[in-house]
Amino acid sequence: MTALVNPPEPTGSTPPHQAARGAGPVLPKQHGPASPLRVLTRGASTIWSNKKARIGVVLLLAFVALAIFAPLIAPYGAGENGFGRNQSPSGSHWFGTTAAGEDVLSQVIFGARISVLVGFIAGFLSTLIAVVVGLSWGYIRGPLADVINFIVNLVLVIPGLPLMIVIAAYLQNGGMTMIIFVVVLTGWAYGARVLRSQTQSIRGRDFITAAQFAGDGAARIVFHEILPNMTSLITGSFFGAATSAVLAESGLSFLGIGDTTTVSWGSMLFWASNSNALLTGQWVLLFAPGLCIALIATSLTLINFGVDGLSNPRLREGTGR
Amino acid sequence: MWYPLRKLGLLLLTAWAAITLNFLLPRLMPGTPADAAIAKLAQNGPVDPATRAAIEAQLGVPTGDVWSQYVQYLGNVSRLDFGVSYTFFPQSVSSLVLNALPWTLVMVGLVTIVAFVLGTLLGVLAAWKRGTWLDTLPTLGGTFTSAFPYFWTALLLVFFLGYTLKWFPTSGAYGLEATPNLSLAFIGDALGHAWLPAVTILVTSVGGWILGMRNNMINTLGDDYVTFAEANGLRTHTVAIKYAARNAILPNLTGFGLALGGVVGGSLLVEQVFNYPGVGYLLFNAVTNQDFPLMQALFLMITISILLANFLVDILYGLLDPRTRR
Amino acid sequence: MSLLEVNNLSVIYEPRGAEPTYAVRNASFSLERGEFVGLVGESGSGKSTLGFAVTRLAKAPARISEGTILFDGRDIASMDEEELRKQRQGGFAMVLQSGMNALNPVRSIRKHFGDIFAAHDHVPTSKRLARAYDLVEKVELPRDVLDRFPGELSGGMRQRVSIALALSLEPQLMVFDEPTTALDVLVQHAVMGTIRELQKSENFTALLISHDLGVVLESTSRVMVMSEGVIVEDGTSQQILHAPQHEYTQMLLGHYADPRAEVVEVPGLVVRGLTISSTGLGSALDAVSPKTGEVTAAPSAPARRRPGRPEVAAIVVDDVTKVYPRPRRGSDPVTAVDHVSFTLDQGQSMALVGASGSGKSTIAKLITGVERPTSGTILFGETRVDTLRGKGLRGLRQEVQMVFQDPYSALNPLHTVEYALMRPVLNHTGLRGAAARTRVLELLDTVGLTPVEQFAAKLPHQLSGGQRQRVVIARALACDPQVIIADEPVSMLDVSLRAGVLALLDGLRVTFGVSMLYITHDLLSARLVTDQIMVLNQGRVVESGQTAQVLRFPQDPYTMELLEAIPQPHRAGAGR
Repeated sequence: MTALVNPPEPTGSTPPHQAARGAGPVLPKQHGPASPLRVLTRGASTIWSNKKARIGVVLLLAFVALAIFAPLIAPYGAGENGFGRNQSPSGSHWFGTTAAGEDVLSQVIFGARISVLVGFIAGFLSTLIAVVVGLSWGYIRGPLADVINFIVNLVLVIPGLPLMIVIAAYLQNGGMTMIIFVVVLTGWAYGARVLRSQTQSIRGRDFITAAQFAGDGAARIVFHEILPNMTSLITGSFFGAATSAVLAESGLSFLGIGDTTTVSWGSMLFWASNSNALLTGQWVLLFAPGLCIALIATSLTLINFGVDGLSNPRLREGTGR
Repeated sequence: MWYPLRKLGLLLLTAWAAITLNFLLPRLMPGTPADAAIAKLAQNGPVDPATRAAIEAQLGVPTGDVWSQYVQYLGNVSRLDFGVSYTFFPQSVSSLVLNALPWTLVMVGLVTIVAFVLGTLLGVLAAWKRGTWLDTLPTLGGTFTSAFPYFWTALLLVFFLGYTLKWFPTSGAYGLEATPNLSLAFIGDALGHAWLPAVTILVTSVGGWILGMRNNMINTLGDDYVTFAEANGLRTHTVAIKYAARNAILPNLTGFGLALGGVVGGSLLVEQVFNYPGVGYLLFNAVTNQDFPLMQALFLMITISILLANFLVDILYGLLDPRTRR
Repeated sequence: MSLLEVNNLSVIYEPRGAEPTYAVRNASFSLERGEFVGLVGESGSGKSTLGFAVTRLAKAPARISEGTILFDGRDIASMDEEELRKQRQGGFAMVLQSGMNALNPVRSIRKHFGDIFAAHDHVPTSKRLARAYDLVEKVELPRDVLDRFPGELSGGMRQRVSIALALSLEPQLMVFDEPTTALDVLVQHAVMGTIRELQKSENFTALLISHDLGVVLESTSRVMVMSEGVIVEDGTSQQILHAPQHEYTQMLLGHYADPRAEVVEVPGLVVRGLTISSTGLGSALDAVSPKTGEVTAAPSAPARRRPGRPEVAAIVVDDVTKVYPRPRRGSDPVTAVDHVSFTLDQGQSMALVGASGSGKSTIAKLITGVERPTSGTILFGETRVDTLRGKGLRGLRQEVQMVFQDPYSALNPLHTVEYALMRPVLNHTGLRGAAARTRVLELLDTVGLTPVEQFAAKLPHQLSGGQRQRVVIARALACDPQVIIADEPVSMLDVSLRAGVLALLDGLRVTFGVSMLYITHDLLSARLVTDQIMVLNQGRVVESGQTAQVLRFPQDPYTMELLEAIPQPHRAGAGR
C-alpha cells in the first residue's frame, strides 16, 4: 500500500537525565517459560549485567536503607538543637553543628527520608499520569490526539521550576504535599511523550489488529497487549521522573518554598546559606547535603543506563565499534 | 504548509496558551491573591481605585465578569503593561523586568550554547571511542555532574573559588561602585562577575548533552548508512562526523529545545546564590515579598523567551533536516 | 590465482550473556576473476555473515574464529584500518540488503558520490561530476537524481543509487547481499536485470547472496548452497538445476514451479492441473449482477457448502472506490481502489494479485471494516459492511477473519499460544472454562501443531516462522468464520515452509467450507490455492477470471509483466 508519509517526528528527543530512544525492539529475547516473574528476573539481570547500573542499584539501596533506618543510624534526632552553634567537626559531632545548634550528620541522615520519599512518590505519580496519557494518546486517533499533543508540548516547553515557584507562591505555606503536587504537575509530560511514540509503533503491529479481530475492546488491547510490551520504557520513565523530582524538591526547599522546618537536604542548604555558613567556613555543612542529592540522582541515572539496554540492545554495554 | 510558517503558527498558539495560563493560574488557586496583594500595597500608601481595578484584572477577584477581565488582561500584556511592583514601589513591573532580562539572556544564553556545543562534541567522541577512557570519563563524569543541584555547584564554587581562594567576585553582576555603561572597563568588570555563575551552569548542564548525544550517536552508528559508508571506504572522520554525528544531532536538537526549560530553571537558582541581578534573582525576590504582578510578568517573560528559543531551534532543525522541506 | 580464496573459514557469534554460536563453519571456496557466483540459503543459514566476513565488515558480536580470506593473494585479516579503507577502492565493495536505508538521509546523492571520490582520490577532480553522471546513467537513473535527497527517492531508486555508489569504487569484487529483497516484484526484476547487465559490461567478479534460488540461478554461472552455516553444495548453475547432489538443494529446487504450466506441483500440496474449458473467459466475475449479488457461474472447484448458512454470496463488493487524502502537502490524493466490483462465493477462494500499491491490501481493509470506502457498497450476506461500527463490526469479525503477512508481528511476544487462541474463543463463541480450553486444543490440532498441550504453553519466540503462521491461522479459525482473508500469508516464510502453510489453508477451505480471499504478489502460490483471480494495477482490476485460465493465457500486459518477473530456475545461465 501507499505508505502515508509522516513528517519526521523527532521521537528521539533526549533530555539530559532521561536518555532513552523511543524506537527499537520492544523486548529482549527471552528463553524459558513465560511467567511474569521470569520476565522480571530477566529484566533485572539485564540491568544488573550493566556495570554502571549495578553501581546505581547499590547506591540507591544504600540511601533507601539510610532513610528507613535513620532513627537507628543517626546519633541524634533531626530536630535536637541543644548543641553549640556553628561548631566545626568533632568527635561528638562528626559533621559539626548548624547555626541553630543541630547535629549536621543526623540531619543529613534524616534528610534521606525526604529525598527518597519525594523521589518515589512523585516519580510514581508522574509515571502513572505519563502511562495513562501516553498510552491512550498513542492509541486514539483524530482531533483529540492533536489536542493532547498541544497540551503535552505546552507542559514540556513551559519552564518547570519557575512554574513550580509561581504555583507554590500562590498556594502559600503548603508542605511536602504541595511540593510533590507541583513536581508531578510539571514532571509527567516527557514520559507521556516517550510512551506515546512507543505506543504508536506497537499499535501499528499486526498483533494489535489481530486482537481487534479476536473481539477485544480498546481498554483490553491497551492494557493487555500494549502495556506489557512497554515495561522497560515505563521503568525508564520512572527513574527519569524520580531524578527530576529529587532535584526539583531540593531546589524548591533551597529557595525556602514549602515548609522550611522539615529537615531535608535542600532545606539544610537553605539554612546554611541563610546563616552564612560560607563565611563561617563550615564547608562540611555545605558539602554533605549537596553531595547526597548528587549521589542519589546519580544512582537513578546510572540505573537507567541498564534500563536503556532493555529497550534498546544497541545501548547495552560493549565496545560497539 | 511551509515548515517555518507552521512552526511560527505553533509559536503564536503556544504563546497565547502561556499568556492565558498566566491569566488563569491565580484564578484557579484557593484564596484571593488580589486581596493579599492590595493589602500588601496598602502598606506603601493609600491605593487609588484605578490601581485596585488593575490589580483585580491581573490577579482575579472571586466575582465579576471573567471575560472582560481577560480582554483587559490581553490588552495590558500586548502593551507590556504589567502594573506596578509592590516590592520596588513605585517602579513599573515592565521596567524592572526589562532591566533584569538582558543579564540573564546574555549570560544564560551564551553559556547554554557553549554547554550544548561542548557536550555534543564530547558525546560524539564518547560514542565513537565507545568502551575506551574517552567514553567512560565523560559519560561517568557527565552523569555525576548533571546530578548536581545547580545551587549546590554554585555554593561550592562561591565557597572555594570565591571566599577561600578569592579568585573571583562572589556577588552581583558588576562592582558595587560601577554603573552600567558600555566602556571596556565596565564590560571587563561584568565579565569577571559572570565567570562563576557561567562555570556553574556549564558544569551542571554539560553532562546532559554528553549523555544524550552519546546515546543518539550509538544509535546512528548502528544504522545501515554508516555501515555502507564504511564499506565504501570513506575517511574515518567523514563517517564519524558527516554520517553518524550529523544524523545523531537531530534528536539532540529537539532534546535541546525540551531541556532548555530545565537549564533556565536551574540558572534561576544560580542567580539567587550569586545575587546576580537577572530574572531569577528578581523572581525570587518577588516570591518572598508576594509581589504577584512582578512574579506573573517574570514567569510570562521567561516562558516567552523559552518559546522563542524553541522556535529558533525548530528553524535550525528545519535547515539541518531535508526531510522537513517536503 | 583466484581473486578471492576462502580457506576453512568459521565465524562465531558471541553475544553478551548468551551461548556463542557458529554462524559459519569451515567454509572454503574461491572466486575466479569475472565470475558471477550465487550464495543461496534460508534465513539463519549464515550466508549474510559470510558476505560480511569476506568484505571485512563483520562487527561484534560476530568474530572470525578460524580460517583465512585471501583477496588477490593478500590476507585481509592482516590489513590495518587504513590499508583496509584504501582497499575498498579497486578492491571489494558491498551492496547491503537494506539498500533502502543505506543512504544518509541528510546528504544529497551528489554528496554521497563526492564523499567517495574525496576518500579515495581515484578520479581527478575535474572529471568527478562527469563520472557521477556516467554512474547514475549506468544504473538507469536520470541525472537530476544527484540533486535529490534519499527521502525523495523510491526504494528501487535508492537501491540503484547504492549500486552506483559501490560501482564508483571500481571494485574487482562486488558482494550483493539480498539486493532486491525489500523491493516490489516488478522493481526486483528490473534491478536484477541491471545488476546482470553491469556485471557483464564492467566485468567485475560478483557474489550474489539471496534466499531465492530462482533469482540466483537466473543470474549466476555458479551457485553455492548454504545450510546451517555450512556450504553444502557448490557447482555450476546447470549442475545445480539439473543434477542437484545435496538433499537440501533438491528440496529448495522442488519448491519452484511455473504458474503458467498446465500442471503445477510443489511438495506437500495437492496438484491442481485444472482443465481449461473453452468457455473459460466467462468468469464468475463477469457474470455477477452487482445490484443483486447474484452469481451465475459456479466456482470451478465447488467446496462443501456449510450447513445452516444462507445460500448467498459470502461477500459482494460493488463499485468500491477508496481515496486517501493527500499523503503530504503539495501532492495529489491517492486513489488506492478505483471502482472495483467482485463477488466472493461461499467456499470459493479468490486471489487478489498485484504489485505493492496496487490496492490489494486496501481491499482487505475495506472488507474487514478497518477502513471505509469513499464510495460503493460492500455486502457480507445481508449486512452492509461499509457502514458498520462498534458492535456490528464485532459481529462481522465472527464471520470474517484475517491471516497476516508477518507471523513475527502478528503474535504478541509476551502471550502464550493458548492466550492468543483463547481470546477469540472467549469473545466470539461464548464457550467458557474447560470447554473453551478444549476448543483451543482442538484448534491447535486442526492446524497440525501437536502435541497440542505442549504448543499451547509456548511463547511465540519458541516457535518457527511456519509454526507461528499456523497459530495465526488457528486464531483466525477460532470463531468458525465464513471468510478468511489471507494477506500474503507465506511471503515472509522460508521457501521450505511455504508449501505446508498453503496446503493447510487450502485444506481448511475444503474441510470447513470457508471462503478465502488470498492476497499476494506471488502468482505461483495464487495458482496453487485459488480458483478465481483478480489482477489489480493501481487500484483498478485489469484482468480477472479462473486462475489457471488467467495465468496460462494472460490478456493484459500488466499480468504478463508480473508473470515475466517471476524468477525461473530453468532460465539458469540464460544469455551466457
